[in-house]
Amino acid sequence: MGYTLNFAAVWRSFDLLLEGLALSLALALGAILIGAAIGLFTAFCLISKNGFARRPAGIYVTIIRNTPILVLVLFTYFALPQLGFRLGKIESFIFTLALYSGAYLAEVFRAGLLSIPVGLREAGLAIGLTEIQIRTSIIAPLMFRNVLPSLSSTIISLFKDTSLAAAIAVPELTFEARKINVETFRVIETWIVASCLYVITCSILAALMRALERRLSVPR
Amino acid sequence: MTNRLRVAAAVAAFAMLPSLTAFAQETKSKLDEVLARGHLVLGTGSTNAPWHFKSVDDKLQGFDVDMGHIIAKALFNDPEKIEFVNQSSDARIPNITTDKVDITCQFMTVTGERAQQIAFTIPYYREGVGLMLKADSKYADYAALKAAGSAVTISVLQNVYAESMVHAALPEAKVDQYESVDLIYQALESGRADAAATDQSSLAWYMTQNQGRYKDAGYGWNPQTYACGVKRGDQDWLNFVNTALHEAMTGVEFDFYAKSFKTWFGKDLTPPQIGFPVEFK
Amino acid sequence: MDIAHFLDILWLARTPILKGLGFTISISLLAICFGTLLGIFVGLALTYGIRPLRWIVRGYTDFIRGTPVLVLVLASYYVLSTIGLDLSPFQAGVLALAVFCSSHVGEIVRGALQAIPKGQTEAAKAIGLTFPQTFAYVLGPQALRQILPAWVNTAAEMVKASTLLSIIGVAELLLRTQEIISRSFLSLEFYFFAGFLYFIINYAIERFGRYVERKTAIPS
Repeated sequence: MGYTLNFAAVWRSFDLLLEGLALSLALALGAILIGAAIGLFTAFCLISKNGFARRPAGIYVTIIRNTPILVLVLFTYFALPQLGFRLGKIESFIFTLALYSGAYLAEVFRAGLLSIPVGLREAGLAIGLTEIQIRTSIIAPLMFRNVLPSLSSTIISLFKDTSLAAAIAVPELTFEARKINVETFRVIETWIVASCLYVITCSILAALMRALERRLSVPR
Repeated sequence: MTNRLRVAAAVAAFAMLPSLTAFAQETKSKLDEVLARGHLVLGTGSTNAPWHFKSVDDKLQGFDVDMGHIIAKALFNDPEKIEFVNQSSDARIPNITTDKVDITCQFMTVTGERAQQIAFTIPYYREGVGLMLKADSKYADYAALKAAGSAVTISVLQNVYAESMVHAALPEAKVDQYESVDLIYQALESGRADAAATDQSSLAWYMTQNQGRYKDAGYGWNPQTYACGVKRGDQDWLNFVNTALHEAMTGVEFDFYAKSFKTWFGKDLTPPQIGFPVEFK
Repeated sequence: MDIAHFLDILWLARTPILKGLGFTISISLLAICFGTLLGIFVGLALTYGIRPLRWIVRGYTDFIRGTPVLVLVLASYYVLSTIGLDLSPFQAGVLALAVFCSSHVGEIVRGALQAIPKGQTEAAKAIGLTFPQTFAYVLGPQALRQILPAWVNTAAEMVKASTLLSIIGVAELLLRTQEIISRSFLSLEFYFFAGFLYFIINYAIERFGRYVERKTAIPS
């Protein structure tokens, strides 16, 4: 249709895309680590019998899960400084994504926690472990193994959500792709290359998670 | 190899052309297509005042939009015969090359690289970059910003040359890039940036909309030309659009252009001098 | 923040906002309908398809799931037009979301079908049911019980993903909001308001999902 693909302009800027990809991965990693901590804590709150722990956790999960992440990103970056909470661009995005992933991971972990038989906790109590010790050394590790499949899909979608950091000018992959578009107008070629980078990274992540799953699976 | 194939294909296509179009017009121009269709398909945005944005009653308006009205009037003697295609900035050239629009008027800066992909019309505006400060800013003007060196942060619209553009005026300033105009204002408002650098027309519009809250740093640089763009290789259509725009700036449609200029930029234009054509002075 | 000023502008902008809301809802509905039809096929192909078909469909879902939705949206608008398929922004956007939806639904269907113990198929075979009969009377109904709640959640995902169509110029809620912001410059207030509207829609969907989950649960 009169349009000739020309990747030359994209290859010239390929380094930029790779740098962007590296930053995307770093953002996702930071957010997942913090988000997992938030999620685990929230999950314990969610299954708690104490309403003061359960209800705020429930509200947090409900609000975050039902709001588009773009709105959350913009809100953290632009509204919170006016209320005296100021973070740099990258920190602000990691904070938002961690908060966002925390809500999703909380649900994942909650399901995992519920799947653990009560007998294990009782066994722990019987050998004299404290409540904290039971959670950190018995329940959490077992739960972690149970939730690995859903954890891996959460991690992958989290990685894809880093594309929204472009909205507050964090130079990750999508930002760099848009930048190249503005420069060269080779929109089609740039998106093909960028999307391939995303797909390849996601497949690598998925393969890593599957390997971890196999390694940690209960021998049959 | 591929080149040779392409040449072969082109030769074959040319060989077939006369037989195919023997009964039609000699060559089918976009101009005939648009006239037959009965309306102009104009690509522009909807989120950048005063260039292309929505009025309170949800109608697209602005200086770019008025350029479309000028062309529609020249085509159909009816400025309203336009179908708008709403596009983001990075869609401007792809939408032209893939025939999604007849023409794009969307504050498009003329550059050599872009001119290789599309054909630019004659310019309809010359833009420059300015700096805007908050009215209560601790920096009084451009000189104070420059003196502050690396202590100042400038918010600017995302662009490959954004950094060097700012540094041309403020060599040591930190540069934060954002993807939409309202975000660079928001950065200034929330104190993330000390000044916003963007098109003087946009700054002037913003300051008139928010009387007393902001001030101009009083420095302009980085001239650039705005023109509409059409698909390459259709001289007939390009000529027509050029004529329409040219006559709006110098001829029968000058009043329309001047009125639009006054509405969106707040300045009165002096009518073109009568007598010897201004173009050849 | 001047609340009265904001409400004033909000009232003036009520028609565009309602129109945008209507667009957001119709985009989501269309994407869910087409995506579900395609997704059921994908799920069946993944579970029962012959090997080459399974590989092709697996490649399709992996590619779609590995790409950010934003990239899918842009690709369907620009890349398709270079191969002669000229879609309006609305059509291209719905197509991208439907494709995105189909990979989700496909995985849900596959997961549900594979979760049914093999013994059931064998039992069905033992009492002389053909495969279509087995599917219609044994596997299908059980799978549906698992599929429905997850499917409702996919709807909420579609609503959130529809925000990305603003990039290719579909006048849905987010683009309408941005248009108002470009006129009024009240970005914080209006992003917040849009987030609130999205929350309401998604919260309603979530409640509905819970309801469906309760209705389809095995009575104990």
